[in-house]
Order: sequence, then structure tokens, then C-alpha cells
Amino acid sequence: MRGHTGAFKMRGHTGAFKMRGRTGAFKMRGHTGAFKMRGHTGAFKMRGRTGAFKMRGHTGAFKMRGLNRGLQDEGLNRGLQDEGPYRGLQDEGPNRGLQDEGPNRGLQDEGPNRGLQEEGTYKGQQSEGLHRHEQEVFPVRDWDPNLPLKNLPLSMQEKRSTRDRRQQQRLSIGCWESWRRSQRIARRRLWEQVVRAMCGLQLWRKTLHTIEGKFGMGVKAYFTFLRYLLYLNLMHSVLMSGLALTPALLNRDEHTPRGFQGNDSVLDLLLGTGFLQRSPVFYSFYPPVLLSGPCLSSPLLFLLAIASLLILSVIMVVRRTVIGYKHTWMLGSSYNHHMSYEVFCGWDFCTQEPKTALLQHSFLRNDLKLALEEERFHQHVAQRTHVAQQRARLYFLRGLLNFLVIVLLGGSFYLIYYATVISQGEKPVSWILSLLVEYLPPITITMVNFLLPYLFCSISGFEDYSLTVQVNITLVRSIILKLASLAIFLFFLHRNIKSAQCWENQFGKEMYKLVVFDFLACGLNAVLVEWPRKLLVESYPSCSLLRALGKPTFLVPFNVLDLVYSQTVTWVGLFYCPLLAHISLLKLLIVFYIKKFVLFRCCEPAQRMFRGCQSSVLFHFTLLLGLLTALVALVINANILQPSRDCGPFAHGDSLFNATAACVETLPPPAQRAFSYFTSEAFALPLILVEIVFLTSFVSQGRANRRAIDRLKDILVMCSADKRFLVGKQAACLRALQPSVSAGSSGDARHTERKDPSGCQPFFARSVSAP
Amino acid sequence: MGNKQTIFTDEQLDAYQDCTFFTRKEILRLHGRYHELAPHLVPMDYTEEPDVTLPLALIVNMPELKENPFRTRIVESFSEDGMGNQSFNDFVDMFSVLSEMAPRELKAIYAFKIYDFNTDNYLCKEDLEKTLNKLTREELTAEEVNLVCEKTIEEADLDGDNKLSFPDFENMITRAPDFLSTFHIRI
Repeated sequence: MRGHTGAFKMRGHTGAFKMRGRTGAFKMRGHTGAFKMRGHTGAFKMRGRTGAFKMRGHTGAFKMRGLNRGLQDEGLNRGLQDEGPYRGLQDEGPNRGLQDEGPNRGLQDEGPNRGLQEEGTYKGQQSEGLHRHEQEVFPVRDWDPNLPLKNLPLSMQEKRSTRDRRQQQRLSIGCWESWRRSQRIARRRLWEQVVRAMCGLQLWRKTLHTIEGKFGMGVKAYFTFLRYLLYLNLMHSVLMSGLALTPALLNRDEHTPRGFQGNDSVLDLLLGTGFLQRSPVFYSFYPPVLLSGPCLSSPLLFLLAIASLLILSVIMVVRRTVIGYKHTWMLGSSYNHHMSYEVFCGWDFCTQEPKTALLQHSFLRNDLKLALEEERFHQHVAQRTHVAQQRARLYFLRGLLNFLVIVLLGGSFYLIYYATVISQGEKPVSWILSLLVEYLPPITITMVNFLLPYLFCSISGFEDYSLTVQVNITLVRSIILKLASLAIFLFFLHRNIKSAQCWENQFGKEMYKLVVFDFLACGLNAVLVEWPRKLLVESYPSCSLLRALGKPTFLVPFNVLDLVYSQTVTWVGLFYCPLLAHISLLKLLIVFYIKKFVLFRCCEPAQRMFRGCQSSVLFHFTLLLGLLTALVALVINANILQPSRDCGPFAHGDSLFNATAACVETLPPPAQRAFSYFTSEAFALPLILVEIVFLTSFVSQGRANRRAIDRLKDILVMCSADKRFLVGKQAACLRALQPSVSAGSSGDARHTERKDPSGCQPFFARSVSAP
Repeated sequence: MGNKQTIFTDEQLDAYQDCTFFTRKEILRLHGRYHELAPHLVPMDYTEEPDVTLPLALIVNMPELKENPFRTRIVESFSEDGMGNQSFNDFVDMFSVLSEMAPRELKAIYAFKIYDFNTDNYLCKEDLEKTLNKLTREELTAEEVNLVCEKTIEEADLDGDNKLSFPDFENMITRAPDFLSTFHIRI
């Protein structure tokens, strides 16, 4: 309906309803279904509606009954329809009495400051200065003695007088209460000091602060992630050293030779043979020893080390992912506040140098321009979908490019397979060639992981997506590439290695080679690619090709994926190469300084800031994916392959779990039965069912909350419109009443009031007069 | 620089420690910074609570504030008279709220005050335009500025009055992941 004037009455309508620009009374009853109205002026009365409700720009009285019944009877909006807005809000909740008159009047009715505000230091301060007006706007809960003074938004003078007042109070209350309060304050101060000390202990704080200032928050996010991985590997190495290395070192086999022997050479460091094979780095070093009783055997401790390590990693990574996820996805796309965040949180207040300030200005300008570009792109997309032929052509193009991506992935997987087969085959005689052949799989994997993301980047440019979607798609494809290439390599390694003697050592060696080559590649990339590129660009500024190439910029997503890949390899290889965590730790330490050198000496700041915080969610999520890949690989290995007969801690058993079986047998029978029940399917299935029930309830609770939020937002808009209408009405009434009061006697005034046609009468009466 | 210092009484230092996020040492250091802004105006002895205020121009030239596009508004928001003349109390208050330890709610209140250029307790379009021009040094075209302001109000305005009141602003800023890390000054 559009532009209707005059009364309107409807009853028992079902289905959608849409109205625009009507004036005059409006009455509806028992409507179910969607409802949309725009620009209505005049009274409005509705009853018993259910379903979505949307109204815009309404001026005029408003009465509704039966919408969100629950919300009306209790809680925030109680009594919203009884009379006047906000009356209910005055009855309960934190704003009790705040709307009666003046700020904080209600606060005088209860609480410890009862009566104190009518006299004493606070009275005067409330009624003068800027702060009186501000206390209507900003919440100041200074009556709450548990709220620390520092957190109050008052000026220093007011805080000090509040402090004096609280101290006076403390003298007047009993000694138990005052002791409890002082304990709470002392605990809070201690906690603050501890937190401050812990923050000060974090590694590389100053460097990270400098990086943030010079290159923005995205690059800092990468280095923070690197530091997080460092801490993770530190925990791993501590666990492995304590639980697996120490028993093995204490119970070393006296017959195996130690240290440098006849055939060993420096090449063993790269290949993992010779003296390295006999060292604690590899699986075969760890003998199956009984330390004291069947429950304290080295295989069990080894298993315990690996299991606790993986479980702790899962907990830590999931926790980090979930915290970040909550921030960005919690309330859905309706809370996309990118522009507001840019404007209000864009400037880093710590900036002190003029050069950094200039950089920040240009960052912000570019980011805002980018955001505007995205907006324009979205509008362009909305227009484009109208032309069917264009859409078909676009989808065909996208399908073709996706097929190309799949072909590239397939090609790289075949290359990896070929390299694995060659490296497991015959080795040539000369040592250089044999080194090359041994390292063929790591070289192939690294090359593929290095080149293909750039191809993906350029492919996504043709698919006509907005810039953020392009970046995301390239990232997703690169993640698939890295994790899948590792999975393919492990799969083909499986097939070729089963026949070897002490296959765990072979497996461990391959993982060790991967880690070593990754480290070498990082160093070589810095020295042979980035540094010369920077030198060339600087020494030949006139050459157009070099100017087009430009100085290297620090590409955060690809570097992060490298870190995730190497951590996944560490997790997979830890079982077969127990000291891999220590090697990884050392490697990360050196990689930090290499990357810092590349960043400060070779790179220039990117003109587009990578959104730092969303990306940290992505980093942790990718890490979680890598961890899951490692877990799957380990579980498959444990179930399919039998441990070798003569090397490693599980040498005497048929499977890994024989070690646990021996320990369980020593427990008392009830415990044994309980243990066998917990590991059987009869326990697993109900557990899974219970988890599913919990998940469903949480998801439906989340959905209900989201709907409640949407309804509350609509109510907020309506309340605000109501408020404005009422304020305007009140002003109009006052204006109408004033001349009549001054002109005549009080009787006349009353008479005028009754006959006042300007709508000062209650509006509910008017709407009844519909035809 | 021993244990005996005569700048503040012990009671004053206790009060400052309770009312700000600084320790005693930091408060004494802040007093040193305040003093060196105007050595002839600021007395070394604050035990009698002298009524000394420094003008806006002196404070705004501090190295921590010099490059900040909002420095004038920051100093004005923390001054008693609203014109930027800060006593030592206001000075300490300002750096306390802007320090790392201040909670998000407190920072949100003062951030709102800072961005509210016409002090009408609403962030209207003119306030946003001024903010944007200060941020980008007027390098955006007028149309772009207009678009950005409109989009910002559209994103954050909850009650539909085309300007941001404090609840709107607070609701938006508490969800901002980098608000705490950008809205702080180290001194």
C-alpha cells in the first residue's frame, strides 16, 4: 500500500504487509507475518501481532501490545506500553531513578551513600561544572566501593574527594567488612603487579614495538605468531626432555658406539646418518627399559610424552582460535564495523617520530580508499547480477580458473610422488648427487610451495572478486596446497618405506630433512633473493624493469603459512625424531633474526595494511588444521604399521599399546574393568551422542540470542523515535499553554487545556475514531 | 635521589597511587616532566597543592603528543576549564587514562570526549568530518569524506538518530580488537 490517507482498520490479516507514507490513524489486530512500514505519521495501534516487524521514520503516537510478550512483562522493557516511555526502566535495572530528575537522584534512595549526597562534599560538585551534564551521558558508578578509583571517569579532584569519602565510610562500617575490603584491594594490587611483571618478561617486546611502528600491525602479528610458536616448541622440548630423553640417557646401551666413528662425516648432519643416527635425535636411541615396575617403563613414558604434548597443543591452539573467532564472528555480518574501526582506532597514539606519523597518515588514507573501493565493488556486483549473460560468462570463467588451480595442484602432487619414488630408489655413487637425490622430496615440496602461491595470486586477479575476497581465496588455496602436499608426501613415503628395517628411523630422517631444508631455504631466500633485489633496485633506479619490480615487501600471509607448515612437520616427526622440538626451537630463534634482518634492511612498508587481528584468527585456525593433519597421520601410522622389532622403545611389543596393556594388568580388577569399559565402543557412542546434544543446544541458544538481539535493536530504534516525538510534543504543548496561562485566570487555563486541539490529549483516544 | 623526596607528602603520593594507574616512582617522574615544560612556573614543592596550570601550547608540544593529530582535543578533554589549561592533577589524569593499564570502559568514555569536537555529547557528522580530516591530513576528496562519514554513522548508529551517542560509540568500540593497543600513550 502506498500513500494512503485517512483511517485504516484491519483485522485478522495473515501474510506479508507493506505500507508506505501513510497519514492518519491506523489500527490493526491479530496480524501474523512480516510487517514493514515507512514514514507513517499519525496514531498507530496494533495488537497481538507475531512475526517480524519493521518500521522506519514513524512520527506520532505508537502503541503495541503482545509483541515480544516475554520482554514486556519483565526485564528491560517492562511497562514500556503502560504509559510513557522509560517508566518501566525506572522500576528496576541499573538505571533506576536515573530518569526521575537530575543525575544520580535515584542513587540517593539506596546504597551506602544514602543521605550522603544531600550533604557533604559531593553535593556541590554534582550541580556545577561540566561534570553534571556529563554524568547524564557517561555512567559513573562512584557509589560502588568495590570499583577501583582509577577506573572512574572523574577528574583527579573528584577522585580524591571520593577517596576521602570512602575512607570515612571505612571508618564507619564494621571491622570485618573493612578487613574484607582491604584484602580485596591488596589482592587486586598484587595481581596487577604480577601481570605487569609477566608482560615485562615477554621476549622481544621492544623489537615488536618498533616493528609495529614502522611496518604496521599486520607484520607485527607475524612476529607475535612466531614468538607463540617458539613458546609452544619450548613446552614440547621440556616435555620430551623430561619424559623421554632423561630415562634413555640414564639407561644407555653400553655396546653401541658413541660420538664420531670411522665412516662419519659432516654430511651426516644433513642426511641424518652416521653419528646422528646413533644420537638421541632419532627413534632408535631410545631403548625399551623398565625403570621400576611395569607402570614406569620407558615406552609408556614415551607414549605419555607424545600424548600430553599433542593434547596440550590442541588445547592451546583451540583456545587461541576460539578467542579470536568470538571477536570477529560472534554477531554475524551485521556487526561489520570496518569503517568505524578505521576511523576511531586507526591512529596509533604511541607514534612519536614524524616519519612514522607520515607513514600512518598514508596507511590510513590508503585503507580508507580501499574500503571505499570495496563498497563501490559491492554496488557494482549488485548491479551486475541483473544481466544473465554476463553472469553466465563470469561463472564459466571462474569454473575454468578453478579447474586450472586443480590441474596445478595435481601436477605438483605428481611431481612430489615422482621425487619420493626416486629418492627411495637407488642412490648414485658420487656424494653430491646422492645428497641431491636424498633431498629431492624436500626441494620439490619447497619449490612448489614457493612458486604456486604467486600463480594463485595472479589467477585470483582474473576472477572479478573484491580485494579482500581475492586475498582470502588465494590464502585458502595456498593452505590446501601446503597441507595437501605434505599429506601426499607422507602417503607415498608410507608405501615405499614399509619394507625397510627400523622404518621409524627412515621416517624420522625424512622429517628431519624437511625441517633442515626449510631452514636452509629461509636463509638462502634472504641472502640470494631479497637482499640482491634490494641492492639492484637501489643501484639502478633508472631501469624501468627494476622499478616495476620494486623493493621487496614483507608478505605476511605467505610467511605465516611457511611457519605453519614447518610446525606441522615438527608435530608429525616428533614421534620418530624426538629431538625435533629442540631443533625446531633453535630454528625458530634463528629465523626470527633472519626475518628481522630481511624486514629492516631489505623491505619497504607495504602500502596496504593487512588487517592484523582478523589475520591472527586465520593463523591460529591454520595452525589447528596443521595439528589435525599431524594427528591423523600419527593415528594412521600407529594403527596400520607395526613397530620395528629391534629398535626404539616399542621393540618388544606387537603394537604401541602393548606398553599400556602391561601397566593396566597391574592395576586392581575394578580399575581394569573400568579402564576396559572406557576404551570400548560402548562408552564412546553415548559420549558422542551427549556431545551432539550439547552442541545442538548451544547452537540453538546462539540462534535464539541472535534473534533477540535483532528484536532489541528494533525496539531501540522505536524508543529513540518515541523519545524525539515526545520531546517535540512537550515543547509544542508548553508553547501552546504559555500564552493562555499568562493571559487569563487559572480557570481559563484549565478550560483551555481541556479544549486544546493541538493533540495534547492522550493519543489513544483519537485512534478509536476510525470509520 | 634517595628515599626522602620533598615534592609530595606521603599522603599525596598515596592518593595519586590510588587514583591513577601509576606507581610512586612514575608519579615523581611525571612531575619532573611537568616541571620541565615550564620550570619557572611549576614549583618543585607540591606539598601545599599550588594552583598552577600550564597553557595548552606548552603541553601540546611534548614529544609524546607532538605528532598526534588529536593533541589539542586530548589536552582540552582533560582540563578542568575545557580550554586546555592543565594543572598537574589533570596532567597525571590524562596520562593515567591513556596508559596501558586503563580499562576499556574508561578509555571509551574519554575517546568519546576527544572525538566530540563540538562537545554536544554526540558524534555528529561534523565531528566525524573533522576527525577524518585530521587523520588523513585532508588528502581525501570531499565526496570520499562524506561517504566515509555516512558509512561510519550507518555502521555504529543503533538508535537511528543519525549521530552517535555514547552508548552507540561504546557498543562499537568495545568490539574493536585494536582499540586498546592503539589508544595508549607511553610516557
